[in-house]
Amino acid sequence: MRIGDFKQSYAADEAVFRSGTVRVWLALLFAALAVFPFLAGPYLLYMADLTGVAIVAAVGLNILIGAAGQISLGHAAFVGIGAYTSAILTTRLGLPFLVCLPLSGLSAAFFGVIVGAPSMRMKGLYLCIATLAAQVIFDFIFVHWTPVTGGIRGINVPPPDIFGLKLDTEFKFYFVTVPIVILAVSAARNLFRTRVGRAFIAIRDRDISAELMGINLFQYKLYAFATSSFFAGVAGCLQVYLLKIVTPEHFPLHESIRYLAMIIVGGLGSVLGSIFGAIFMTMVPEALQSGLALFQGLDDKLMSYLFPLQTVVFGLLIVGFLVFEPHGLAEIWRRIKDYFRLWPFEH
Amino acid sequence: MKSLRVTLGLLLALCLLLGAGSALAADTIKITAQQPITGRFAFAGKHINQGLADSLAWANEQGGVDGIKVEYIYEDTGYDLKRAVAAFKKMMAKYSPVMDYGESTGQGKALSPEINSRYHVVYGSTSFSQELADRAKNPYIFVSGPTYAQQFGILLKYIAANPKTKGKKPTVAFFHSDTEFGRDPIPFAREMAKKLGVEVVAEEVTAVGAVDVTSQLLDLKRHNPDYCIFQGYVVPPIPAIIRGAKDFGLKTTFMGTFWTMSNMLLDKLGADGEGYMGVMPYAYWYHTEVPMIKIIQDFNKRHHPDVAYRPNSYMQGWFTGMVFVKLAKMCKAKGLPITGPNLKDMIPQVKDWDTQGFAGMVSFKSSNATAVGKVYVGKGGKFVPASDWIYLD
Repeated sequence: MRIGDFKQSYAADEAVFRSGTVRVWLALLFAALAVFPFLAGPYLLYMADLTGVAIVAAVGLNILIGAAGQISLGHAAFVGIGAYTSAILTTRLGLPFLVCLPLSGLSAAFFGVIVGAPSMRMKGLYLCIATLAAQVIFDFIFVHWTPVTGGIRGINVPPPDIFGLKLDTEFKFYFVTVPIVILAVSAARNLFRTRVGRAFIAIRDRDISAELMGINLFQYKLYAFATSSFFAGVAGCLQVYLLKIVTPEHFPLHESIRYLAMIIVGGLGSVLGSIFGAIFMTMVPEALQSGLALFQGLDDKLMSYLFPLQTVVFGLLIVGFLVFEPHGLAEIWRRIKDYFRLWPFEH
Repeated sequence: MKSLRVTLGLLLALCLLLGAGSALAADTIKITAQQPITGRFAFAGKHINQGLADSLAWANEQGGVDGIKVEYIYEDTGYDLKRAVAAFKKMMAKYSPVMDYGESTGQGKALSPEINSRYHVVYGSTSFSQELADRAKNPYIFVSGPTYAQQFGILLKYIAANPKTKGKKPTVAFFHSDTEFGRDPIPFAREMAKKLGVEVVAEEVTAVGAVDVTSQLLDLKRHNPDYCIFQGYVVPPIPAIIRGAKDFGLKTTFMGTFWTMSNMLLDKLGADGEGYMGVMPYAYWYHTEVPMIKIIQDFNKRHHPDVAYRPNSYMQGWFTGMVFVKLAKMCKAKGLPITGPNLKDMIPQVKDWDTQGFAGMVSFKSSNATAVGKVYVGKGGKFVPASDWIYLD
């Protein structure tokens, strides 16, 4: 049991790293992240990179939905805008990766503000449909604006270059992904401690009271859309450099729903939840697939039933988690932590 | 505690067994695959996978590659590029295969630079894309048949040789979906038509699952082409178009390429399927006069006794398996070790390879695609040959 952990000021209570224990664990985590690429093979590193992309996008969506309470079904489209922006800027103008990265975020944020505009008048399901329209419209543009987006063939992107160092393997790419993820996560974590972040939460909890408190609803809703899309754009930029190709097929509606599932499974409104959700949604299908590989070669007929079963099991896992812990993986994590923190005095 | 120990013991035993399994299999030629067994492409993916697995199993029955067995390892990708690339990387690290089969055109395009620079594996796939068959850009990648462009070339060659009215330039319309798959061969087809003296009178474009095709049909009626070639569909909206054209009294002959030459489509067309034509790079399951089909039927009778039919996607898998084994055998015959780079060098050297009537005499000449196919016509619910093998190169 941890004792003597008292807060004597509001600042201490609001601190990101509240105790020495947290700092130690965090240092261990960073050390593990630093050692990991030297131990893991290309497959695990690629999955780590992919998870990193998902985390950035999920954190962004969680700011919009979990914190500000504005539902969006168009998140994949914003990831797509980021991806296309960096693909076009690299291939046409030859801009370097580090310049493309913020520009992708900004361009996604720009469109995010436009798409967020209806949120002035709409809430809940209605807003959901409005953002769905954005998803469909951007999807259409990706496919049909061939001179710019390359149409259905998409754009092939060369590996990124940082100060002359070519990031052509997942090993090198890892060292770009991880700092960006850390940056994105810390930015999101700190956002909730600022005036803007608190305004988001006030709007989510009760928009009328928020307005009474002097929060300009429209302005802050647009901030939420812009921030969330910025994260999505950055994730898109990372994704396009990781996959080295962008086509409209990468940003369908079900990708938006996947991001939504990430934050719901992980825990709405929690940064840690977004991370857990992104890891869960990326790694569990892979784990199921690896489990299936053990059965390979046993019986063709059996396999033909087992393959579709992966999707069913994955779906059941999501439903199961939500039934037993509606607040998501972040809440389960908190309970595990509390168990150790309070042990042996649980009650 | 005891149960924990038992579990741990069992796990350890399992690990040892698996380890022993892979140790035993060290002396094989490893071929990996990322197959779209679930997801949007599953209708074909599961057959392709079975075809490839069966083809390699049959090759092993025949003694493998001069005594060396071929080992086939696959994973499901759900037709998702991110997962496919992940599976590819995982399998490359785990098995270090010399040949690989991928789920889509997109996967080939995404991995091509890394295949050239890092992985050095010969790569076949579900794709018939022209871009992938470009030898200069993708020396490791081959297409298991003619590319869509070449399939159009074969059909146009057939059309040029069989004009509807003697002495008059045959006319043709292209009817394609608004996808990469639909658009891929069109620019090449236009050029080819010009070269062969076939006039392209109309180009109709629809969304992939289009329901309402009235405006395209009216346009088709206005131009009344002798032939109309579909590209980029699987079934809909083809039945609607053929029926609609019949109602308008058009005498147009409708044609398809690989994916629109399935018996699934012929069944949907019913009586309208009579006279429907198209190009196929392989023989069909029921062409029992073809020696290789006899082998395939016999293999299935022995290993899958309850199978009554195998679609053309199965044949694609089977043929890819044949190519893999052929390349390995060529390496062996030349006394070269069977490695990715050596196998890659064999691709352009495949010349007039007798596939026992299955896919003609195959050569990978100017591109890494076979450039050969046969025109078939629907008769009594089956496709029968309307031409001999037509070669483009």
